Amino acid sequence: MTMISAASEGEAGPVSRPRLGLRQWAARTNWVLGLILLAWFVLVIVPLAVLFSFSFFETKSYFTIYRPSLNTWISLFESGRFEVTLRTLRIALTVTLIELLVAYPFALWLAKGCRSKTLRAVLIALLTIPFFLDTSSRTIIWRAILGQNGLVNSLLMQAGLTDAPVEWLLYSEVSVHFGLVVSLFPPMALPIYMAIGLIDDELIKASDDLGATPWQTFSRIVLPLSLPGVMAGVVFTLGPALAAWVEPGMLGGGFVNLLSNSIESAYTALRYPVVAALSTFVILLLLALLGAMMLVARRFGDLSSSFRVLKG
Amino acid sequence: MTDAALSQGPTSRGGPSYWPIWRAIGKWAGLFMLGLIYFPLVWLMLLSFSANPLSGIPGSFTSTHFRALFASTDWHQPLLASVVIGLIVGLVCAVVATVVGRAVPSLARPGRTLLLFVLPLFVPGMSMGAALFIFARSVLDLKLGFWSIALGHFVWAFPFALLIILVVTTRFDHRLVEAGRDLGASGWRVFWDIEFPILMPGIVSAALFGFLMSFNEVMRTIFLRGTAETMPVWNWVQAAAQQSQVPIIFALSTIVLAVTLPLLCGVFWLLFAKLDKS
Repeated sequence: MTMISAASEGEAGPVSRPRLGLRQWAARTNWVLGLILLAWFVLVIVPLAVLFSFSFFETKSYFTIYRPSLNTWISLFESGRFEVTLRTLRIALTVTLIELLVAYPFALWLAKGCRSKTLRAVLIALLTIPFFLDTSSRTIIWRAILGQNGLVNSLLMQAGLTDAPVEWLLYSEVSVHFGLVVSLFPPMALPIYMAIGLIDDELIKASDDLGATPWQTFSRIVLPLSLPGVMAGVVFTLGPALAAWVEPGMLGGGFVNLLSNSIESAYTALRYPVVAALSTFVILLLLALLGAMMLVARRFGDLSSSFRVLKG
Repeated sequence: MTDAALSQGPTSRGGPSYWPIWRAIGKWAGLFMLGLIYFPLVWLMLLSFSANPLSGIPGSFTSTHFRALFASTDWHQPLLASVVIGLIVGLVCAVVATVVGRAVPSLARPGRTLLLFVLPLFVPGMSMGAALFIFARSVLDLKLGFWSIALGHFVWAFPFALLIILVVTTRFDHRLVEAGRDLGASGWRVFWDIEFPILMPGIVSAALFGFLMSFNEVMRTIFLRGTAETMPVWNWVQAAAQQSQVPIIFALSTIVLAVTLPLLCGVFWLLFAKLDKS
């Protein structure tokens, strides 16, 4: 989100920074930075590497056998887990697609169409606030709204549209999709907004002046330049959707088993290699889907130029 | 002056928002989604004051559930744990993010370091929780508890805190430091009297964001809690176990929302209003 703007502004930093007199101070800060980097490495990279290597062990009668084998990985594709994987993929991809279709036009409007500065600031704040709210209480309330005698069914019945409560509204795949779409909207909309906001208005104006139709301006200028935002949005939506646990647990009512449920049941059964393999699998799925997206996106625009901001 | 009139143009004419229909669709679809995000919060507050929240429809307002909540002491310990862990995570996030955020822009290749620090943003919460759990429990053979929850929360909250700090540190004008040095101030004084006050809004926001990210975290906590319990996890367990506890959770969530929402509005006021001026 802010990463893009921060990094691009950072390019100017080293040049304008005076070298004289600051050297001592910088040296000391870098020494501390090195320590922090080391601690961060131990906290993030090492556990992820351990996770990956643990997936090659296996469990026999509650004990982890520390001998490398592919048995745990092979068992992932047996015993109905393959079905769970397909369901998780289907739901995660559907949710991401819906988010993209709703969030892109909204982000475009917010970045280029919304004229009031105050309204824009308020909407961005409203988009950011949900990141900091408790997911479980926000999700459990949907039970009261979508349930048999909840708000939606009461309204439907009062309007005479149905005689009996609509049952598939809650504890079904529909409600899981719904819960995910609602809670993952901000992570998709914000990065796209940031990317479109960085596009210079002059470019769009120039395109208009040179006689391009609105569609040409969109497909040749706005869309390619907003691709990094779309990619970031997809990462922040697809990742949580693949590992979704609160929404399927609370709104699926035990009928919608996803990979996260498999991870949790393996965790309670103390089968840590299975936990490791499934967690690694979720990360690998995310990477594979992103790789596929990048290949598709390359046809629309020069991605390397988009990532230049990250290299600094 | 015709240029000034023209420069008003792009925002209204630019891109496909040129088509009024697309602009309207984009606007209203997004506003509808925002409605879907915030409507449940209002409904939750209404239900927490209703006599029979499980019916799903608010009505006959009473404060019974709040009195039941205050009569019970079960939630005190999880709430206290969440607040203490949140405070520690917020404080550590603010300090570490300030150190890193000041150093990163002056590095030769800031991109790589930055990417390493924001990596946890790209790893699904469940996978990160499982990774930390296996590392601490099976490899290091440590007993999990509040400390591991705090570490897991720190890994989750730190990238956000760092990105916020970077917004202020990359804008910082280093000529101010130079001027302070020329006038004979020591390194520490230059930092404390010149740099710190300017970075202040970012540091406060980083601390608050760190606190709130930690305070509401569920996925990583599930793996890292050992036998300890934080409030979101307590909420989750109660809600999953018995329906009779739900009214009390509604009441508790309402109180938490009433505290967090103004806090968040404060952060945004700090970030938007204060930073735009400087």
